[in-house]
Amino acid sequence: MLIADVQGIVARCNDAAEALLPAATPGTPLADVVPDWLRDAHVGLNSSGARDAPEAGRAAAGDIDGRYFEAHPTVRDDGSVAWWLVDDTDHRLVREALRMERELSAFLAKASSVLLSSLNLERCMDVTAQMATESLADAALVIAPARGHRLPVVTCLRGGTPETATVTVNPDAVPGLGEALRGFPPVPSRWMDPGGAPAWMKPEGMGPIGSIVITPLPGHGVPAGALVLLRRAEAAAFSEEEEVFARLFAARAGAGMSAARLYAEQSSISELLMRELLPPALHQISGVDFAGGYRPSADHERIGGDFYDVHPATVEGDASLVLLGDVCGKGLEAAVLTGRIRNTLHALLPFADDHQRMLNLLNTSMLSSHHTRFATMVLASAVRRGSAVDLKLTSGGHPRPLIVRADGTVEEADTQGALIGVIPAIASTTITTSLAPGESCVLYTDGITEAKGGPMGGDLFGEERLKRALSGCAGMPAEGIVEHVQMLASQWLGDGSHDDMAVVVISAPRTHHLSAVNGHTRGRYTA
Amino acid sequence: MTTHPHHLQLTTVDEQSSVRIELHGDLDYDNADLLVQEATARLAARPALTDLHLRCAELGAVDSMGLCALLMIARRATEAGVRLHLDDRPARLERLLSLTGTLGHLTAPPPTRPPAPSATEESAGAARPPGPNSTT
Amino acid sequence: MSTGTTHRLSDAEPAERSAELLWNAVSAGDECAAADLLLRLLDEGADPESVLLDVIARVQGRVGEEWAANRMSVAQEHAATAINERAVAALSTHPAARTATTRGRITVACVDGEWHGLPARLLAEVLKLRGWRVDHLGSQVPTPHLIGHLHRTRADAVALSSSIPTRLPTAHAAITACQAIGVPVLVGGAAFGPEGRYAKPLGADAWAPDARAAADLLAREPLPRPEPDHQQLDDLPHLADQEYTLVSRSSAFLVREVFTALEDAFPAMRAYDDVQRERTAEDLAHIVDHLATALYLDDDELFTRFIAWTARILVARGVPASSLPPALELLARELKDFSRAVRILGAGTRALVTDRTTAARITA
Repeated sequence: MLIADVQGIVARCNDAAEALLPAATPGTPLADVVPDWLRDAHVGLNSSGARDAPEAGRAAAGDIDGRYFEAHPTVRDDGSVAWWLVDDTDHRLVREALRMERELSAFLAKASSVLLSSLNLERCMDVTAQMATESLADAALVIAPARGHRLPVVTCLRGGTPETATVTVNPDAVPGLGEALRGFPPVPSRWMDPGGAPAWMKPEGMGPIGSIVITPLPGHGVPAGALVLLRRAEAAAFSEEEEVFARLFAARAGAGMSAARLYAEQSSISELLMRELLPPALHQISGVDFAGGYRPSADHERIGGDFYDVHPATVEGDASLVLLGDVCGKGLEAAVLTGRIRNTLHALLPFADDHQRMLNLLNTSMLSSHHTRFATMVLASAVRRGSAVDLKLTSGGHPRPLIVRADGTVEEADTQGALIGVIPAIASTTITTSLAPGESCVLYTDGITEAKGGPMGGDLFGEERLKRALSGCAGMPAEGIVEHVQMLASQWLGDGSHDDMAVVVISAPRTHHLSAVNGHTRGRYTA
Repeated sequence: MTTHPHHLQLTTVDEQSSVRIELHGDLDYDNADLLVQEATARLAARPALTDLHLRCAELGAVDSMGLCALLMIARRATEAGVRLHLDDRPARLERLLSLTGTLGHLTAPPPTRPPAPSATEESAGAARPPGPNSTT
Repeated sequence: MSTGTTHRLSDAEPAERSAELLWNAVSAGDECAAADLLLRLLDEGADPESVLLDVIARVQGRVGEEWAANRMSVAQEHAATAINERAVAALSTHPAARTATTRGRITVACVDGEWHGLPARLLAEVLKLRGWRVDHLGSQVPTPHLIGHLHRTRADAVALSSSIPTRLPTAHAAITACQAIGVPVLVGGAAFGPEGRYAKPLGADAWAPDARAAADLLAREPLPRPEPDHQQLDDLPHLADQEYTLVSRSSAFLVREVFTALEDAFPAMRAYDDVQRERTAEDLAHIVDHLATALYLDDDELFTRFIAWTARILVARGVPASSLPPALELLARELKDFSRAVRILGAGTRALVTDRTTAARITA
């Protein structure tokens, strides 16, 4: 305890204060014997109105002789101030340690949350490199296990953006790197002589390197890569605590990166398998326009129980074969069955001219005593003749195709037949018709007409509504009709659930005389 | 409020030589199995059965899995020598069956037991069970 | 075929003339003429970006105006759009439009439920021309597909397009999902309101008024990586009152109730045929959808803009807009316990009063 008067002269000093501030004998000016922070606090207290409210005197704090003190003032009746000095050094060290600890765990929590939210390997590598430079190093390299001799490397300087590169090296040529990348046996972090580091390990613009440490990124059963931390020459080398911390960070980064790797492998497998099951992109073939659209029942899936294909004729002048169908069921199981059917029909293409024979052969190949899974489908053969398109249509238990005439009339193609795959002997009728330029034939699955919703909720979209919509589509390009039908159905559904929905449109392209059409006279073209 | 209004409910009535199952609600992807199980159980429990009636007056929507279930029941009934009847069909079911060309197949009389070759020949188109269980 | 020097069409009169010619081809449904015209412009050395934005985008804008003025049906709008789409596809194969990839990778997509795909398509083409590697996912992209795509590729950013305001809640979910996996999102399209005012409350990292501005913005500097642990509810704390959830969930019920009550108020409605009844119900459903979206953003103006626009559209189609105020009033009665909904509907009614004078002038 030390008392100083209004003028800032030391009035009294107890033994403890004297031991701490030996020069502070009574009568000496405060300014000469105590650190500046205490003197300032005393001056501040004297000049402020705080004197009137003694208890409100604010504590000051600062170093005295390498230790940390808090000084609590008590204003006495004569205006002098008693400063109670409390050694807070240990407290402060604990608090500082706690703050560090909190910062570190916040950093690790952030690392986990960022790394686990992305399943993309490159992005995980970017994030790892960038975060490592935030609190561990001046620069960081994240190296993924080699593909052949090529190492994918992400480099990041503190405050910079991660850069990706591929270096062609033998990892075993760099001490510690080969082991770290193999991930087995477990190896500790390893120091490296900056002088011995290969050029690709030294980021451009980093300056002289003081220390390098290579830490393996542990994957789960698979190697995930290695983290290389670099510090500048003038920076302190890595302490033991920092190495421990780097390992904790590496564990999280490794977990994130190996999860991303597994996801990438799995998704490339399913991508490959799914590619066969996705509906094809359609376009014009031999003067006939084709367009198709597909929306599977579940938004997270891209395949389902509806399918379509267009097979161009092998001989120019023959008809292309369009097929659109629906197998019972949904999701992957149904999609696998559509794949079988599409393959079978592909094999039956030599009979493409004889729809009934195709359907019969497909039917026989699908019969099974184990289940009654079936498909319904429409076969359409389309060939350009002059400016018209000749069509042959056969339904195997499927909703009838709709034909949109130039004047907006919508006709139902009168073809009928049994569904495919359950009944031992099936019969069907085939019809032929012709599309004039601008006319279209619309094949669809019942997911469209059975879409449940509407403004009042609970109503089926229905065939009538579809026909009404199509009557406004006379003369439209095939893609436009597909898009229009899809939009109407999805608007009808709102956010409701639905079955798979597929539409294919076959159109006879319009022929044109467009030398001098002005914008307001629609429909000046020759049919 | 807790039960879904369209959920399929079945009421089974045993009669002298037939069974009648009354269907209430939708026969679809989510509950088609229910009907197959019920019908299969009845066919197995009554070997002397001659007719299986599905009363469809209160039947709601039938999707492709629903039709798949009806086809399976028809097959099991045929194998058991039982004739399937789809009674009081609502217009929507009628349309579905006619569109898919399945009405005749579903409700055809089973081949007589023991099979007389001439009779099977006549109804072969509609009712011959396929695969290894085929009786011809 | 490229002449080596290209010229911008934007400030010159040729852009307008070309747009007029393209409009003629598009409105006559002549896709060959449309594609020929555009390819010829490129042959003559026009800048492909300028052809996309100053000719095609301009014509597409006119398609929307013609529809609003009832000079085009929805089906014709789709026909015109399909032709524009094909024209864009034809253009992208022209040698002048072939550009080497010199920049990063951008994913372009429309929000789920958004079928106006052309603006996003144009942006995708412009970004390709500027040297980006572009993955164009098309219109109506379900958020799970978008996220799956982002996991499989390393996109530097997502450009998300939406023109219908009622898709904004879905857009918000998509924005948050992209950011959660560390990909920043640039948004654009009419849905985001005047000056893109809804982009910020929905947490988008950037907004651009058009494709050119979007491409400039992306070229300037990379969008920063989004902060982790972003919570959707933090953007829009008012959602805690559940009004949005309850209104959007009971949309069909509200439409039925108001429809029945309107029939009592307007006996003439009983003589409507099925199509007219369905149109009326659809109009009501749109009102409820926009109300829900206004609740989502807690923004009265989103609703009043829509109501004023609807009134003008109805007038353009010769339908009296006089049924709108009672519809709003009936809706407010149904939702009397929802204070924000009542406030927004009130603002809608007031907007109609001020707008009616304008509407009356249009019909006169």
